[in-house]
Amino acid sequence: MKTLSRIIVLMLFFQVVPAQEMDDGDPLLNRPADRTYDIILESGYLKVGVYENFPPYSYEVNGEPRGIDVEVGKQIAEAMGVEFKVHWIVPDENLGDDLRNNVWKGHYLAKRRLADVMMRVPYDKQYAYMQDSTGEYINEQVVLFGPYQQETWQIAFNPEKIDGVDTVAKFQYHPIGVEIDTLPDFYLSSGLQGRMRDQVRHYPNVREAFGAMQDGAVSAVMGMRAEIDHELGRPENNEFQFAGNGFPGIGKQVWDVGMAIKHTHRQLGYAIEAIIGDLVKSGDMQSLFAELGLRYSVPQYYREFLSEEALAKAEGRP
Amino acid sequence: MISNKFGIRIATSALALAVSYGAHAVTDEDIMNDHKTPGDIVSYGMGTQGQRYSIIEDLNTNNVKHLQPVWAFSFGSEKMRGQESQPLIKDGVMYVTASYSRVYAIDAKTGEEIWQYDARLPDGIMPCCDVVNRGVALYDDKVIFGTLDAKLVALNKDTGKPMWIKKVADYQAGYAITAAPLVVKGKVITGVSGGEFGIVGKVEAYDANTGELVWMRPTVEGHMGYVYEEGKAVENGISGGKAGQTWPGDMWKNGGAATWLGGTYDPDTNSLFFGTGNPAPWNSHLRPGDNLFSSSRVAINPDDGSIKWHFQTTPHDGWDYDGVNELISFDYKDKGKTVKAAATADRNGFFYVLNRENGDFIRGFPFVDKITWAEGLDPKTGRPIYTEGGRPGDPSAMDGSKGEVVVAQPAFLGGKNWMPMAYSQDTGLFYVPSNEWSMDIWNEPVSYKKGAAFLGAGFTIKPANDDYIGVLRAMDPKTGKEVWRYENTAPLWGGVMTTAGNLVFTGTPEGYLKAFDAKTGEELYKFNTGSGVVGTPVTWTMDGEQYVSVASGWGGAVPLWGGEVAKVVKDFNQGGMVWTFKLPKDRVASN
Repeated sequence: MKTLSRIIVLMLFFQVVPAQEMDDGDPLLNRPADRTYDIILESGYLKVGVYENFPPYSYEVNGEPRGIDVEVGKQIAEAMGVEFKVHWIVPDENLGDDLRNNVWKGHYLAKRRLADVMMRVPYDKQYAYMQDSTGEYINEQVVLFGPYQQETWQIAFNPEKIDGVDTVAKFQYHPIGVEIDTLPDFYLSSGLQGRMRDQVRHYPNVREAFGAMQDGAVSAVMGMRAEIDHELGRPENNEFQFAGNGFPGIGKQVWDVGMAIKHTHRQLGYAIEAIIGDLVKSGDMQSLFAELGLRYSVPQYYREFLSEEALAKAEGRP
Repeated sequence: MISNKFGIRIATSALALAVSYGAHAVTDEDIMNDHKTPGDIVSYGMGTQGQRYSIIEDLNTNNVKHLQPVWAFSFGSEKMRGQESQPLIKDGVMYVTASYSRVYAIDAKTGEEIWQYDARLPDGIMPCCDVVNRGVALYDDKVIFGTLDAKLVALNKDTGKPMWIKKVADYQAGYAITAAPLVVKGKVITGVSGGEFGIVGKVEAYDANTGELVWMRPTVEGHMGYVYEEGKAVENGISGGKAGQTWPGDMWKNGGAATWLGGTYDPDTNSLFFGTGNPAPWNSHLRPGDNLFSSSRVAINPDDGSIKWHFQTTPHDGWDYDGVNELISFDYKDKGKTVKAAATADRNGFFYVLNRENGDFIRGFPFVDKITWAEGLDPKTGRPIYTEGGRPGDPSAMDGSKGEVVVAQPAFLGGKNWMPMAYSQDTGLFYVPSNEWSMDIWNEPVSYKKGAAFLGAGFTIKPANDDYIGVLRAMDPKTGKEVWRYENTAPLWGGVMTTAGNLVFTGTPEGYLKAFDAKTGEELYKFNTGSGVVGTPVTWTMDGEQYVSVASGWGGAVPLWGGEVAKVVKDFNQGGMVWTFKLPKDRVASN
């Protein structure tokens, strides 16, 4: 028994270690390390920023980081010849806050803590060059680059409750679960002159909304496509199905997802961009998604210059 | 005149002596009489009604120029940010908090530290609303305060060692505590802070001796309140009766209405008065209805947490006009009859006088120069008459371009924010620390949250005038008239105190502690503390001399916001000190 418990303790210990974060900041001046490309290579590791508790993109299982953004981060680290280190991101109210807290400045309660690169940052020129009321570029402290996926919206439903979702108008009559304070929340609470509002049920995340669908409290769930794919891949959600409806009135039907680095670290950005480009074009990115049971769409960025043939390869189509 | 003053001075010194040789534990009686006892300050608000009025007359308009610093104390470390605390004084010891949930016991005569307690905050904590702390409560042998990770901590007053620690709410769900707790009849009463992540406001009472939960009252319609009997939760009625009356769908489940600024207590009516924050989500077009009890003042029975009445200042709030500002109890004469009133200066720019026995609206009037979102108040109910087109637009109705800009005045930081005003029993005036600013709000053409497309609003705050933002005002609650005003370049963000010496004290972001003539507004004294003052001054007597104390250290919400206001404050340095002043004995009679 004693030996066994010791082994268990050891196992626990080793499982915790990889998930532990680096503190490589300057303790005296209480500021983050300025990790340029050369310093990263020399240090032997890359700190990859991913959102915490956010399946299927990034989450923890038994102390180990998992998810597609973690896998992509590991690919980048491997190609750079350094070790992958996770940097968990607690989401703030919007992307600008997350970039400030994790990419260029640091949170005021954890000033030494920055990621070398942040995953799951929408790649959008309009956002990147947004100006404030005085004409300053709001996101000038960061570089948004390296789109690796295109994301979109999706509904899953319980066929025992509704026979299908031809249009979202269905949700004037049937309860639908959403993550609170997200676009699906706003869309369903305000669309059709508010006629779906009373049927919207709010949950802290998509996983709990699916739990409510299992309990029969909602007949459908709306989220991002990868979130829905991931949930439908779980055995307890076997009986639920994809809906094929459109989302009229949503400004952003699809968007590209890339990464962010500090604007003074462009050399790092070029290196990662090249790695991502290879992953996307070779179809390896699609394979990574497929291994996790997720559909994959090539970002719009590539659609503008890749041939039909090259696109098919990237998306794993014959 | 002089002999009269002298007489009071002897009386106050005798009282100070009696206190220092008397019982050392703070009792319920001490707390209820706080506003009458010059030798100590044992409650946030210098009395549970929150008037911040001192009966001490030694320091007055004639001799305030002789007020001199006696000691200053540094909170230490690199945590120089946002010192919004009000010190408490008991038996020659000052108990004061600093940002990042720190508490200090300091020898009030010498400024020497007795002990310090730093709450151990969890890694990865993301408090919604800055790192400030507004002060402690005292009870028996305990110093009680709330932390950024939403706990109540009771420390031994002599050693600073924890006696009990209670989790009030889950910081990971977005909760925090920054307000000073209130002690009423042996119960520690606290509210909670929270961001926009689907929290529900509540008020809770804990046994001050043991830390056991006594009752809890949610401040959103539809949630059950509880009393706890021998550790068991017993249902004590749903707030507002039932769910779904003033909220659509299930939105009441995440309605907001955080009670982040704490409350006051009125012994005459045995009522706690708590203000509540804005409703969630921020987009008001998603939640038609009044959204009770958001942006309201709620009167609560301290014995079981039941709601006696409420008054909503901004029904269906769409401007982020939190209704948390303090409700101060005061009496006044109307046609020979005493009116038991209470007053509050709301974020939304209106000053309200309510009947504190039943919450009835008596009168209301603007206390800022301009209000754009409402044309006025209904003279009977006090309900705002909304301006057409004054509500920020619905982002869901956007077509991909920048939405129409709506200008709203005051800005969401409020005609008055958290900083407490004061009421003088001598002049019958309220001294209101206010700001003149507007905001532009528009719907962002492109915004993202947690990797996903989102519908966000953009805003920017603008000073309403070229040369000043802050205005300290003397307001007559009977007429709505502004009796005097003092204009300050930077926004005012510190609390106010008034005294029987015809003085009004407040601090400025420029670093000054200032004193004004309570009747005329003439500036009589200023002293630069080295960093912006966003704390609240207090005064007491010790060894027959009158002391004044205030925390100094720029920070709080103002520097967090950009735009044109940031330009006014960007050169202010942060800090972390408490400054103590006194009027030397031999200067009392001087001119």
